Order: sequence, then structure tokens, then C-alpha cells
Amino acid sequence: MALLQISEPGLTTAPHQRNYAAGIDLGTTNSLVATNRSGQIETLPDEQGRHLLPSIVHYAENDILVGYPAEQLQSSDPMNTLSSVKRIMGRGVEDIKGLANVLPYEFDGNSESHVPRIVTRQKNVSAIEVSAEILKTLSDRAEQTLGEQLAGVVITVPAYFDDAQRQATRDAARLADLNVYRLLSEPTAAAVAYGLDQKQDGIVAIYDLGGGTFDISILHLNKGVFEVLATGGNSSLGGDDMDNDIGEWFIQQADIKNVDAILSRQILIAARKAKESLTSVESTDVTVKHGDIDFTTILTREKLNELIHDLVDKTLMSCRRVLRDAKLDRSEISNIVMVGGSTRVPLVQKQVGEFFGKTPLTNLDPDKVVAIGAALQADLLAGNKADQDMLLLDVLPLSLCIETMGGLSEKIISRNTPIPVARAQEFTTFKDGQTAMAIHVVQGERELVSDCRSLAHFELRGIPPMTAGAARIKVTYQVDADGLMSVMAEETSSGVKTDIVIKPSYGLTDSEIETMLRDSMDHAKDDIQARMLAEQQVEARRVIEAIDSALAVDGQQLLSVDELVNITDARNELEGLIESGSEDLIKKAIKNVETVSEAYVAKRMNASVSKVLSGKNIDQVDV
Amino acid sequence: MMQLDLKKNYFELFDLEVDFQLDQKLLHAAQQRLQSSYHPDRFINANDLEKRLSVQNAAHVNEAYETLKNPVKRARYMLQVGGLDTLNDHETTTDTPFLMEQIELREEMDECRSCKDPMRACSHITGKLDQRSKEFSNQFELLYQQGKLEDARQVSKKMQFVERILEQIDDIQIELEDGLF
Repeated sequence: MALLQISEPGLTTAPHQRNYAAGIDLGTTNSLVATNRSGQIETLPDEQGRHLLPSIVHYAENDILVGYPAEQLQSSDPMNTLSSVKRIMGRGVEDIKGLANVLPYEFDGNSESHVPRIVTRQKNVSAIEVSAEILKTLSDRAEQTLGEQLAGVVITVPAYFDDAQRQATRDAARLADLNVYRLLSEPTAAAVAYGLDQKQDGIVAIYDLGGGTFDISILHLNKGVFEVLATGGNSSLGGDDMDNDIGEWFIQQADIKNVDAILSRQILIAARKAKESLTSVESTDVTVKHGDIDFTTILTREKLNELIHDLVDKTLMSCRRVLRDAKLDRSEISNIVMVGGSTRVPLVQKQVGEFFGKTPLTNLDPDKVVAIGAALQADLLAGNKADQDMLLLDVLPLSLCIETMGGLSEKIISRNTPIPVARAQEFTTFKDGQTAMAIHVVQGERELVSDCRSLAHFELRGIPPMTAGAARIKVTYQVDADGLMSVMAEETSSGVKTDIVIKPSYGLTDSEIETMLRDSMDHAKDDIQARMLAEQQVEARRVIEAIDSALAVDGQQLLSVDELVNITDARNELEGLIESGSEDLIKKAIKNVETVSEAYVAKRMNASVSKVLSGKNIDQVDV
Repeated sequence: MMQLDLKKNYFELFDLEVDFQLDQKLLHAAQQRLQSSYHPDRFINANDLEKRLSVQNAAHVNEAYETLKNPVKRARYMLQVGGLDTLNDHETTTDTPFLMEQIELREEMDECRSCKDPMRACSHITGKLDQRSKEFSNQFELLYQQGKLEDARQVSKKMQFVERILEQIDDIQIELEDGLF
């Protein structure tokens, strides 16, 4: 939809052109891509017909391998073959120490960055870059299958991902040069696929146990509206941990003293194989051969159940909490949908069934359902189904807080608040002439800031000097539909906008991303500039076209003569600059057009929204 | 700049009467109706300004919805609509019998954990509090209708107290359940 071209909210204005979009499930163990292929949403296979892409990336001297070819090198070259990196997305150097047994990589200790970098033969890479490789492979697959460029993608993230983890995922997509329509919670995506498949309204619980993350979400499905009532989980709990439990048991059984990286990887691979076999048989052999170690033992399903019992219990604790948050009784859940490969484990199905007093649904493929839901939403957002009334209303998974005196956290926005959400808070200065102040934002439910997750330090500068207590600084925290936070600040007595300097606690800085982008692009610098100029020229023409057609419709009715002249002047200036060859000048002129037409856009939105609303009466809308 | 009329109070926004008794179904339906016009998903291909506006509008609708959905927040908000400044209200009450009762309830709550049957003790307190919260709600409604806003303000503070304790009991219950597991 172009600038000002609002006929009615919710309708896109370019119905003739079909936009190609895809849904990507970026998983800990496996990733998938799904898209609308001639009216049917389905996951896309590779040339060998395999739908899953193992989330594994191998860094050779001059080459990068992704997926199955990388998986084959996993046990022979574990240090250069990276798997399960989703577990360190958005994590700091300190966090990953606890994951050492799951992720046996060497981390670069000298790096200045807040983002941990894994040492490989080729270069030191962050989880964001590794994820970008996976995203690139999947988007290439989609573009090859469709024979078209992707206009945009929806990427799924665990519902319980915090701001830093979501931001890291967005950064990965930026590196992969993808236009992200939306980050969508995995259980919400699953609910969409389920809802459209079963065409049943009611309250459903989505139990999503993946390779490294666990989510439980409760949704109200009603006539195409998917409303998340509450969500909970653990962003560091999954099938990987089961493998690890089995691995530790094996090491004990075999009485192994020294476990090197290769042996460790082989044990985990054997453990995973055993776990998978035990979904259909009662007992299986576990064999590991490496160096002078050659050991075989038998693992029974009963023993497995014992090993993973605590882990399953932990997920049920989250289930209880989330029911409490949603103010619902177990009996009010009409269906439980199982998502994620780890829900194939019989003990998981049994315990979840007992907990809810209902047999969970397993008829949807737990591996594919998230990608399919994401593709459904991507297709809708691309504007291909403008008539459909689907709407996803999600919530903030973890409370947003700020640090107060004594290292305590004070909640600004509570968990399970519907997003987007914005909340303002007023501060004042405590010293005469004070022009700056600092705010530390954290995410979590605990009372002590040190037990929560640090998101960012904000420094407000440029507060007009006044006597202590006179300044009124209004700080607004906003969470958008992706679950990402932003902060705005304003001194309300003078109306001065204060500058905000953000120091993210874990994310990449913009300059780091730029460096990575430059490194990863094959094009010469000139090519990039030419491309950016071309993009701005297209954008400029689009803006002019939009202005012209908007003015033709209601310019006379909605605008005063002065306003009309201002907008027309800005428009003409922009038109004159299109062939100037300066990307920068065009960009500024576009910005200028947008600024002078701000009020006009608002009026048009208002007019069209009130038109829509006046057509419906409140009691005609069923709940 | 705002195309959603921010001057409208939350009740007007949802086409509802300013009344403490409110039909949650109507509220919910109105919220979803507005979100289906304003949600950022409806503006994916719009320009940055429209995107920004849609986030602000959708956030405003959600804030209004959350405020009216919760009885305590609704009561406090109604006082603002009535012209009282509640933002700088200190959470204190001078009602001595009420304070005594609160102190007793808090003591009872602290003792819960060491009870023989803590879960039952918790639900016992919850039952009492639910009863109080109903009484206060009725009082508030009546006072508000009579235009006695200052008195209504005092009752709304009591409602806040009760809600706070209920939240704390909730936390205790979660802890207890986790322990039993």
C-alpha cells in the first residue's frame, strides 16, 4: 500500500499484482519453509524431496555448507559444524557458559562485542550469522520453487523469546536480505494452521516442545480471530536436553572419564537416535565407537522415562502457570495441540494428556504445522487474501520492568498484556541543571533486577536545564506487534524531545551489522550504491503517484489552501530530484513529503475508519 | 497526528455507557472490531508513518481494553472521567477497621505456608477477599451513580488493596503447586 492510498483500513490497494510470501520456521534442530503453491499452503522440499533442513552450518576453509551436507560432518568435525545455535540467539557471553555441555564450541574470548562469537576455521561467527545462512538457504529454496522473488516472509520465534532473542532473529533476517513482515510466535502459528484446518472455534492449548525451547500458549479461536489469552514456557528447554540426559547416563554406564568434543558429539547423536527409536519400540541399543571406546548398552523406554521425567514435569509447571494467568480451569480447554518434534516422545503425550484430562491432538504433523501457519499469515500479510478476516492478537510473554533503587525491578508492562502496547511513565530530575539521566530496562518476573534479563541501558540526554524536580520527563515504552520494544522520551513542560542513546545489553550494534552486511555481500560498493539509488527512485515515484491519486480523491475536501500548496510544493520538489542521481537528496525529499502530509494522512485514516465503523453496530458483532 | 480520536474516553471509544457494570462480551467484541481496523498487520505494506500510527492506535485500543476489563482499573479510570485527578493518589486509606482487617488477612496469608493444608488455607482467604471485592464494587457503583466521587475514590483504594493481596496469594499458590509437583 502506497503513501496515503487508504481506501479502507485492512484492504490493500494493489490487488492485481500477486506478492509471493513465505513462512519460515527457524528451529533449534530443524528448519522449514512453507508457501502458497497454487492455492495450497505447503512446506517445500529440497531437490531430494526432504522437507526438513537440519539447522546445522559447517564452516570450511572457503566454503559454507548448510543442512544435510553439514550434518554429515557433525561428528567428524564438530568444532566447525555448528548446530542448535538458536539456543544462543540474543544471549550474552555469561549466559552461554551454562550451555557448555549442549554446545561444545570454542568462543572468542577477546571479542569486544556483547554477542558471543564461535571460533571456526573460516572466521569467528555469531549465532545471528549462522541463522542468516539457514534463512538464506530456505528463502533460496522458496524462490527457486516459485520462480519468483519473495516480497516478504514471516519468521517464527518461540512465544517465550524475550526482546533480545527476537531482535537477534530480526538481525539474522536483515543479514539474509529478507523483508520480514512479522515475527510470529510459534504456538500462535500452530494455532492458525490448526484453526484453519479444523474450522473449530473454542479455547485451545498449544503445547510446543521443540529441540531447545518450550512454549505453552492458550488461545481463543473465534471466526478467524486468534487471540492469545496467555503464554508461558522456557526458552532453554527441549529435546536437546533429553539427549543430554541420555548422554550423561551413557557416559556413566560406559564409565568414560575423558570426553572430548568429537566423542561428546557422537554420544549425543547416539542418544538422539535412541530417543527417536523409543517412540515406536520398547527398548533399543545405544552404541558409540570412538578411539579406544567401543561400548554398547540397552536403553529401555522405562529408563528413558525416568531420565526425562523432571524435564516433562517442568513443562507441566509452565502449563499450570499459564492456566492461572488466563484465569481458566483445565476443563475449559477444548483441545490440546501438540507441536514440535519432541512431542513424539510417548511420556510427553501421556503426561500432557493426564494433565489436561484429554487426549492431545497429534493429527497435524508436529514438524510442519508451525511453518504452515507462518506461511498462511505471510500470504495474508502480502495482501493476497484481502477479503479474509483473519486477525492474530498476541501478547507480551515476559513483563517489562525498569530498575529502581536498590536493584529492584518495577513492572511497567505485565506479561500477557496484548501487544502492541505502550505505557508512559513520568520522571523528574533530582539535581539543579541536570541534563541527562539513565534508565535500565529489564525483562522478567523476578523481584531483583539481577534475576531478570537485562535488555538495554537508555541514556536520556538534552534535558533542558531546570531546577531540581522541575523537569517532567515522560518516558514511553512501546512494544510492537513483533514483541520488540522501543523507548521514547520527552520533557513535557518544554516539549523538548530528549535524545536517547541505547546500549543494548546483548544485541549487535548497528555498525556491527553493517560490517557483517558488507562482508557478506558479493557486490562491489558501487553496485550497492546503484541499487540503493534505484530503490529510492522507485520509492519516490510511488510516493508521487500515491499523493496524486489521494489528492484527486479528497484533497479539496480535507485540506486548506495552504496545506494543499505545501504538499504540492514538496511533491514537485521530489519529482525534480528523481533524476538528480543523489540517493540522499531523494531520501530527504521523500521524508519531507511525508512530513508535510502527516496531518493529511491522519485525516484520511480517520475518514475511512469512521466510514467502516459507522457501517457496523456493536451488537452485530458476536463474541 | 492521531487519527484515532484520543479525546474520546475509553467508554466512548468502545461505544459503551460510562457505567461500572459493563458487558464484558460487548467490550471484547468492540476491542476486536477496532483491532481489525487498526492492527499493524493491516498496514504491512504501508509507509513508515502509517505503520507507526497503526502501532500507536492499536496500542491505544489495547490500553483502553485492559483498563476497562479490570474492575479496579475501570473504577480508577471512571474517577478520572468524572474529573478527579487520581494519578497522584497515594495508596493510603484512613479507614481503621478496614486497615485492621487487611493486617489480619496479611498475617493469615503469611501463615498459610506453614498450615497443615496450605492450599485450602489459601482458598479460604481468597473466598473472603472475593466477597469483600464484590461488596466494594457494589459500593463504588452506588456512590459513583450518586455523584459522590470522593467517597467512591476511597472505596476504589480499598479495591486496590484487595486486588494486591489476591495477587500475592496467587504467587503463594503457584509456589505451593510447584513444590507439590
